[in-house]
Amino acid sequence: MHWLQLSRRLVLLPLALLGLAALLVRAPLQAETCLSPFVKRLEGPEKLLYVFCVDADAKDNDFLAVIDVQPESPKYGEIIYQLDLGSAGNETHHFGYTDDRTHIWGCSLFSSKIFIIDVATKPEQPKVVKIIEDIPGKTGFTAPHSPYALPGRMLISFLGAKDGGLPAGLAEFNNDGSFIRRIDQPKEAPYGYDVAVKPDLNRMVTSSFTPLNNYKKPMAQMDFKNFGKELTFWDFRERKPLQTLTAGLAPLECRWSLKEKANHGFTNCALDHSIWVWEGDQSGKYSVRKLCDTGKLPADLRQSPDDRFLYVSCFGSNEIQQWDVSDLKNPKLASTIVPGVHPNMMHLTGDGKRMYITNSLLSTLDRANTFWVRLAHVGPDGMKVDPFFHVDLNKFKTGPARGHDMLLR
Amino acid sequence: MLHILASLLLTPTADAPASRLAVIQPAPGFALTAQDGKALKSTDLKGKVLLVSFIFTTCSGSCPATTSRMVQVQQELTRQGQLKDGRVHFLSITLDPARDTPDKLRDYLKLYDAEPATWSALTGSADDVAKTVQDWGMWAKPAANGQLDHPSRIFLVDPRGRVREIYHLGFLKPAWVAEDVQLLLGEK
Repeated sequence: MHWLQLSRRLVLLPLALLGLAALLVRAPLQAETCLSPFVKRLEGPEKLLYVFCVDADAKDNDFLAVIDVQPESPKYGEIIYQLDLGSAGNETHHFGYTDDRTHIWGCSLFSSKIFIIDVATKPEQPKVVKIIEDIPGKTGFTAPHSPYALPGRMLISFLGAKDGGLPAGLAEFNNDGSFIRRIDQPKEAPYGYDVAVKPDLNRMVTSSFTPLNNYKKPMAQMDFKNFGKELTFWDFRERKPLQTLTAGLAPLECRWSLKEKANHGFTNCALDHSIWVWEGDQSGKYSVRKLCDTGKLPADLRQSPDDRFLYVSCFGSNEIQQWDVSDLKNPKLASTIVPGVHPNMMHLTGDGKRMYITNSLLSTLDRANTFWVRLAHVGPDGMKVDPFFHVDLNKFKTGPARGHDMLLR
Repeated sequence: MLHILASLLLTPTADAPASRLAVIQPAPGFALTAQDGKALKSTDLKGKVLLVSFIFTTCSGSCPATTSRMVQVQQELTRQGQLKDGRVHFLSITLDPARDTPDKLRDYLKLYDAEPATWSALTGSADDVAKTVQDWGMWAKPAANGQLDHPSRIFLVDPRGRVREIYHLGFLKPAWVAEDVQLLLGEK
């Protein structure tokens, strides 16, 4: 080897090691476990909590509430800003960051609008930069549900077809909101709900709920036979369905194991009151089975960063359960909290130590009269509700608001 | 003006081929300076498949891994004989034009054993680079550790000047990128 080549390699080696070390150091500090693996992590502890709010009587405009969550701040636990979304009756629901964490995409289940919100320019006063209207015309689908970051673009799962019925599907958009393409679900899996990608395995999974025509009805009129049970496994690069399996009724959130190459994941089956696990084998085939029975109507599912615990909010039995799933053959209930009536959405910090909680599911399913944001601390002895953190969502000038999904900044 | 012209030339057509690599967006144009000190415009690379990254030479975060991984792609394509006819080109566009002169970029490519015949590292005036970075939807801002914070994205551009894939380091296997490049080269 020429001396010049050798000296170059001697320079390159420490540089490469430095890069590798930086990546290794960053690895455990990844973004919150519920976010797409392509989303940038938060640098340091959270300062702001964004809450997507539905005006409770749907007469006034929906909004995004900004809550100060810096414990040292004099405004800790207070709503410091409300971003008016400019329209009412959207049923604002799930949030998602773009890959660079500069914009939130907020999806609406009744109006099918997607709000693109700039949270980078002035994080404490976010701004709507675009509203994607005519989603049914662009995609052929209604009810955008999960906004999931891909590099430089967003993947959206939908709950139904253009007419509010079935089939559901997926679509991709540029980060600027331009439509790229739709992705059809297989005929045997017509329902839609969540989507999650496992990049290292080149796999994607989608789940099932019920379409707009059904969930828009008051609960007493809903057809509970019109809910899906299917999980579909996809070749992510090809966007091609490989296999569809049947889980419990209404498998909602899709959570892949966080360990690299671990070919399993979890879903909460809301109408089966249980958590199910999917597992891939050496041949590439998946199987699915019930992992454990939970409290009533498990509506949301989150994971601890070390992949040991699942957190499930049991909307119907007013509790959040922490399950130790380190042994998939023997899951154990580790702790339970009752943060208030009908806890629903949870947002666990990247370090796994704090969990923010809201208590609205869907305006047609909510039974609580008061809405709030609460905080639980997670430690070695399980979850504890913080008695001093309580954000009241009932005293706005426009009346109560149903807080649903949350994101941190 | 150049950017507008390039955008018009690169606007996707309605009859885009059905492919697993969807047309994501037109690739923005640029007019910058390569590591040899010569001007390089996006139109000079028309008809080629491009793999475009944004880096800075003093980066100790994701840039070393990005460039290293792209070199692996270049080596894989060389092994497959895909680089013989000059239809594939690699681009590393600096996020730090004040420090990254053409000389620095030339040394940077040497450091990583990048083959310069099919790889251009680009810099330019602060305004030109800032415009290029913004046009590609990228950004860079000072981080607390003195480095630049920036997104991790690597763009795959087809011979018609359209972005067909955007990779993240967590999903950038050289063999997969080589497959994607072959797919684009095989399109009519």
